Amino acid sequence: MAACQELSFNVDHGYLEGLVRGMKAGILTQADYHNLAQCDTLEDMKLHLQSTDYGKLLSSSEEDLTVSLVDSKLRENLVTEFSCLRSNALPPLSTFLDYITYGYMIDNVVMLITGALKQRDVAELLPRCHPLGGFDQMAAVGIARTPTELYSAILVDTPLAPFFQDAVSDSNLDEMEAEILRNKLYKAYLESFHSFCKNMGGATGEIMCPVLEFEADRRAFIITVNSFGTELSGADRSSLYPACGKLYPDGLRLLALAEDHEQVKAVADCYTDYKAIFEDPEPGSEFKSFEDRFFEQEVKLNILAFLQQFHFGVFYSYIKLKEQESRNIVWIAECVTQRQKSKIHNYIPIIQ
Amino acid sequence: MLARPRSRGVSEATVKMCSLLRGEEMCLAQLFLQSGSAYDCISELGELGLVEFRDLNPNVNSFQRKHVNEIKKCEEMERILGYLLREIKKADISLPDRDVNPVTPLPKHVITIMEQLQRLEVELGEVTRNKEKLQKNLLELTEYTHMLRITRSFVQRSAEREHLEAQYEEFPFLEKDAMMDYSSMQRLGAKLGFISGLIQRVKIEAFERMLWRVCKGYTILSYAEVEEYLEDPDTGEPMQSVVFLISYWGDQIGQKVKKICDCYHCHLYPYPSSNEERNDVVEGLRTRIQDLHTVLHRTEDYLKQVLIKASESVYTWVIQVKKMKAIYYILNQCSFDVTNKCLIAEVWCPVNDIPTLRRALEEGSRKSGATVPSFVNRLPTTDTPPTLIRTNKFTSGFQNIVDAYGVGTYREVNPAPFTIITFPFLFAVMFGDLGHGAIMFLSAAWMVLYENNRKLKNTRNEIWNTFFEGRYIILMMGLFSIYTGLIYNDCFSKSLNIFGSGWSVRAMFENNVWDSVISGNGVLTLDPNITGVFKGPYPLGIDPIWNLASNRLTFLNSYKMKMSVILGIIHMSFGVVLSTFNHLHFRKKYNLYLVFLPELLFMLCLFGYLVFMILYKWLFFTVKDSRHAPSILIQFINMFLMQSDTMQPLYPGQAGLQVFLLVIALLSVPVLLLGKPVYLYWLQNGSHRLGMYRGYERVRRNSEEELYLMRAHDMEEGSSLSDFSTSGEHNTEEFNFADEFLHQAIHTIEYCLGCVSNTASYLRLWALSLAHAQLSEVLWAMVMRIGLRMDTSLGVLFLVPVFGLFAVLTVSILLVMEGLSAFLHALRLHWVEFQNKFYSGTGVKFCPFSFSLLPSSFEHDGLL
Repeated sequence: MAACQELSFNVDHGYLEGLVRGMKAGILTQADYHNLAQCDTLEDMKLHLQSTDYGKLLSSSEEDLTVSLVDSKLRENLVTEFSCLRSNALPPLSTFLDYITYGYMIDNVVMLITGALKQRDVAELLPRCHPLGGFDQMAAVGIARTPTELYSAILVDTPLAPFFQDAVSDSNLDEMEAEILRNKLYKAYLESFHSFCKNMGGATGEIMCPVLEFEADRRAFIITVNSFGTELSGADRSSLYPACGKLYPDGLRLLALAEDHEQVKAVADCYTDYKAIFEDPEPGSEFKSFEDRFFEQEVKLNILAFLQQFHFGVFYSYIKLKEQESRNIVWIAECVTQRQKSKIHNYIPIIQ
Repeated sequence: MLARPRSRGVSEATVKMCSLLRGEEMCLAQLFLQSGSAYDCISELGELGLVEFRDLNPNVNSFQRKHVNEIKKCEEMERILGYLLREIKKADISLPDRDVNPVTPLPKHVITIMEQLQRLEVELGEVTRNKEKLQKNLLELTEYTHMLRITRSFVQRSAEREHLEAQYEEFPFLEKDAMMDYSSMQRLGAKLGFISGLIQRVKIEAFERMLWRVCKGYTILSYAEVEEYLEDPDTGEPMQSVVFLISYWGDQIGQKVKKICDCYHCHLYPYPSSNEERNDVVEGLRTRIQDLHTVLHRTEDYLKQVLIKASESVYTWVIQVKKMKAIYYILNQCSFDVTNKCLIAEVWCPVNDIPTLRRALEEGSRKSGATVPSFVNRLPTTDTPPTLIRTNKFTSGFQNIVDAYGVGTYREVNPAPFTIITFPFLFAVMFGDLGHGAIMFLSAAWMVLYENNRKLKNTRNEIWNTFFEGRYIILMMGLFSIYTGLIYNDCFSKSLNIFGSGWSVRAMFENNVWDSVISGNGVLTLDPNITGVFKGPYPLGIDPIWNLASNRLTFLNSYKMKMSVILGIIHMSFGVVLSTFNHLHFRKKYNLYLVFLPELLFMLCLFGYLVFMILYKWLFFTVKDSRHAPSILIQFINMFLMQSDTMQPLYPGQAGLQVFLLVIALLSVPVLLLGKPVYLYWLQNGSHRLGMYRGYERVRRNSEEELYLMRAHDMEEGSSLSDFSTSGEHNTEEFNFADEFLHQAIHTIEYCLGCVSNTASYLRLWALSLAHAQLSEVLWAMVMRIGLRMDTSLGVLFLVPVFGLFAVLTVSILLVMEGLSAFLHALRLHWVEFQNKFYSGTGVKFCPFSFSLLPSSFEHDGLL
């Protein structure tokens, strides 16, 4: 079966794979970033981006350029590309692409709940949702008072419904509860995505499993670090850890017991992949937060996906790389407008 | 390569001929443009399209260049123009004639254009916004009327039903309650509310489900489809909608219902509480819709007027902005000299065009009223100039065939002039059919006659454009096919008997040869040995009697095979001979003795001799002794094996000559392999001691001195030439014996093996011509002959569709498909077998800065 997959892959997915590889060639290179970092105004950046694959993306609007406009344009671009891929996809690639959007859907749901708790207007919140995770019932999320209600009334029709298995509870939704809900949903989502990729087998499994395992472990670390100083107990925490990463099961048990940063570092030291991330920065080199290092590591993993053919990992990786690129451009634009030239080099280069 | 000074005595005609054979002589020139007149000068050059500019600031980022603000302004104008064009297209206003060529606007006039454009944009924006608002308003009102009409029917329907089934109803219908009075609801203790509106047809089911789940059945939803397609206010696409009416109890449920409605993007409208109110609202809506219609019409008229006014000058603006942008782009490539207050540009320019260039600069300076003129200065350079070969509409097609393989190296022999004849000829050898050739010729002639027709010229159909661009090639191919068709005596697979066959059947009877066999044999042989049977060759081409012969194929195969070998060897030898022109022109005389001569000897001693044997056998064996003619194939093989004693020789003294030729051919291989590298090695190491300079080297040395002198001169003048001139650096080539030897070894192996394989490759001429002839014969036999066999009067009627089929198949298969395949094979024979003998094709094409080369259609530049 594994051999057959490669033989017949191009029949259904060859066009899209070619397309996505072509689009990957348009990702900004080190030279582009170098040039962008030299810019003095957003207009300069626009002029430079014109010579890249973004083309006239930024110049087609009549309003003055702002960082938020750049951000929304980049996001729009990503969504256009993704919807082009999605509308041409055949199963099982279409399911795979849908899985990518579920993560954004979870984020959107949680954002809407917290927004509703703060008595914000839905019309004000909707534009801030990530368009990749948009769904029809989105605006009604604010009606729900408890996770059970949220599930049974609103989200039962959506693809997020299966992830609610562990998250159903009758406690009132407050900010803490929303955050816990997000992590529970994410845990279920990652585990489901992981098992989907594993069942796909072949190159897709080989490529995607490490990427998702990394993602799961990253969440576990970040949950732990963020929970210090809150009332979240170790046992509560451990129910939020996605159980599909490399840390599972021993690392996660240790993480649940950890009570300060040093102990987290001790856990990370047991794993070669994560050791470097928590290491103290060498003297002389500029300081990078461990989130940034996680991003760097993620970029590296995603680049690896392009070394193999006939698998779906390239689609996931492309979306993630493109997202990172948008973050980089927005960071540079932010630095340019605020005249913070010293911090401009803190972006995460994608293609060396 | 250095530009050689041309002697004065060379006539204009020789120059022209040379330019087709070798391409134009180019030089690097420096333009000193006064900063005031630079814009006009470059605009003048853009109109003429004489020169190619070199980028003198390659290290400067695009946003750090000098005229970046002007370019930004141009882009802003392009954006507005794109908006205008889109609006004009949306309003379905045709654009005016496109054949105007407006002059480049002066920089001071740009502001007025800019202002006009901005005013137009603001005006247009306001009007369209107004229009959109009105349209949206209208749409809402229409939706409201639909809603009222349909909800009324809900109420009526339920009322009727209640009337019919009154005895079975346990709960009174809510709508009926609404129809009655509100006091009854207040009795129930909860407030009854209504929400009504429109929702997209596709969403209604999900909407209903969510409504039920959230409100636990405390609501009642009734809905009906709107028959008309209403426009979506956001996208403008027509879509189907559903009118719904929700009745609910209690405020809390009401809040939830409203939220759900928001989430499904329902358009909500107030629900009238009584019948009278409903009628009032409907009445009010009708008048408002009418008012809106009139206002909307006025707005549209006004919009159209604005757009028509804009469309008159929009094309001129587009061209002007494009020209301006191009000029600033070029100005960004110039370097700025602060002390002299002038811009310096470096250009490649054909030597013959320098006077025109001077005149253009004078004209530009005059126009801008500059006091100091701009001037040209020729720069000596060691950089390879770009290749320019001037073509006309006839030669350009053939030049394109050559350029598709590779643009010629500067001043290299250009195969295009020879291709004009050889390409159609080789094509025709494969396509030889008088009838097909004539059809091809006529269709090409039609295209040539109507080539100025704008409808033919400006089509978007890519396939058609390909044929149209190659109309002269097709014309020549058709003409040559007619000729080869005559030689093959093939016209739709039938032979033409114009001059009367040279064979006579009568003589066979008169000599009573056939008497013994005529009864029992289906095949009768004409014996040319009997006097009177063969009266001499047919004046032109193949004798038509072969069309009837059963051994026709055997005869033609032998003939065509030999012919293709002969043509191939002539073609290749010609290619080798052409390489001498390159060796002589590039001052590499040693190549003549060390490369060209052994190559030619190798080819002629082996394959030239083969041609000789073919011709000898054709000429010196008569009908009488043809039975004893030896096989050329065996002869040729034996030549390599040096076994001449077992065979009967073709001619006396054959053995000695063959050995001699073979030895020469074999000897030329080591000469080819070692000669050039060893000579160059000797030249490098030995010649210095001898103190003599040879050929090419001397020229280079001279040029270096000249260059040095020129630069020193410039230094004195005070202009810092080396700062901006990229021509300054000159790297002497290191001679590497191993490299040179390796290259020559590869070349030798490629050439010697290539001689064998290329000769075999020319057999495709035979194969394709055979295939073509057989295909057309099959088509005749399978289609046309069936129609012609019917001898009743019905056959005439039957012949019409049969001929139709025959014609369609002839054109589609024999002309188009076979033609394309023959074209491809001819292309291959030229690119590989012919051009690899002399053509390196590593040049860069000269692309002048010319306004006429800017994309002319609106669509190509992303404006639309």
